[in-house]
Amino acid sequence: MTKEIQAGAPAVRIAGLQKWYGSFQVLHDIDLTVQPNERIVICGPSGSGKSTLIRCVNQLEAHDQGTIEVNGQVLGKSTPRMHELRRDIGMVFQHFNLFPHLTVLENCTLALRKARRLPRAEADDIARHYLGRVRIPEQQDKYPGQLSGGQQQRVAIARALCMNPKVMLFDEPTSALDPEMIKEVLEVMTDLARDGMTMLCVTHEMNFARTVADRVVFMDAGRIVEQADPETFFSAPAHPRARQFLSQLL
Amino acid sequence: MKFDLDFALSVVPFILTGLATTLWITVAASVGASVLGFTFEMLRRSNRWLGYLMRFLIDAIRSTPVLVQLYFIYFVLPVYGVTIPAAMAGVLGLSIYYSGYLAEVFKGGIDSIDAGQFEAGKALGLRRRDVIFSVILPQMLRNVAAPMGNYFVSALKATPYLAVIAVPEMLGLAMEVGSNSFRYAEPMVAVGVIFLILAVGITQLVRRLEKKLLAAHTR
Repeated sequence: MTKEIQAGAPAVRIAGLQKWYGSFQVLHDIDLTVQPNERIVICGPSGSGKSTLIRCVNQLEAHDQGTIEVNGQVLGKSTPRMHELRRDIGMVFQHFNLFPHLTVLENCTLALRKARRLPRAEADDIARHYLGRVRIPEQQDKYPGQLSGGQQQRVAIARALCMNPKVMLFDEPTSALDPEMIKEVLEVMTDLARDGMTMLCVTHEMNFARTVADRVVFMDAGRIVEQADPETFFSAPAHPRARQFLSQLL
Repeated sequence: MKFDLDFALSVVPFILTGLATTLWITVAASVGASVLGFTFEMLRRSNRWLGYLMRFLIDAIRSTPVLVQLYFIYFVLPVYGVTIPAAMAGVLGLSIYYSGYLAEVFKGGIDSIDAGQFEAGKALGLRRRDVIFSVILPQMLRNVAAPMGNYFVSALKATPYLAVIAVPEMLGLAMEVGSNSFRYAEPMVAVGVIFLILAVGITQLVRRLEKKLLAAHTR
């Protein structure tokens, strides 16, 4: 095939990525390209480097070698105005990380007002829109501490969406939740995927991976050992480590 | 010599002429120390070499007597052409002295904030200063309201040091009464009681503020 026309660069392009914590190498030769609107689920045993990998994508962690491009821009330690590039990369954390001193609405509007410099009324409108999308419009004046875990995580998703990111990163978004709250968060994420959001999700929710992902990336010991569409991955995993991982889950 | 209550009461109005000076110096020094201390702590965290420098500075400030610092500002700096009026020198001295302690208090207050708060701010694309002022500072203040208040009270009680550089604060005035009348018990008791009342007042104020901060956002 001939070279693709560069109408749109890949949403994320990672090539030859290496990362060390001291003398311990956490990421080995990671190559991963994510196209716009693609939904990727990254799974693997704990300690396999999944979280570190997606935290490199918005440079919460710096990588040591290799390249990371997001929305066509190269990211690294010396990238100027990194904070501006992060505005196009939404992130949802395992422990929500909502700002406890701000109301739900203020959590959502903080970056709109400080980073995008929108007036309050406009920021509030955007925030209310996304709080509606995560089905939590009635809680806008509460503080995070007054909400359930599932509600907090949905607020965190709305907070990230308010910046209208081109890519969303999810770092084990349901791992800290009680079972009955996992569903409400996954539903919101599924909606988001249906609407065409480019997503990289680190998750152990294999049903979500099966139904939503375009591609499953399986990591072990800091390497991507298998990448496949969910059907292939779940029915006929090629790598023995992936087979072992799946057999333990099911 | 018997303690003369009437005499003690009679000198109170004279001593209180220094009240305004004591209060504004306390407030200015507390504000100055807070701003300086927070700046030191932020610089300490900003990068490695500045971090070492700030660590040294904070330790140096805390490890030298406040009187030495005051004398330095008031008597040594003029030798190098920097002359500062007594009251300003006092405010500056107390600000610097307490900034060292407050920097430590702020360090603790920031350390106890979850790292996820910094990360969330960063991930949203906030500038470093917006993360500091909109995310970290408000949470830090809630953590440190009580120890901060203690240092404000401590600054109030340190204002008598300024008597040595001839700032007309309350202890200096009480000493004046003493040396004029040869009666020290009454003016000292009077000035002590005035300080006691002021300190208790500030403590109560801080407690109320702390309660308010805690109630505002149930976590």
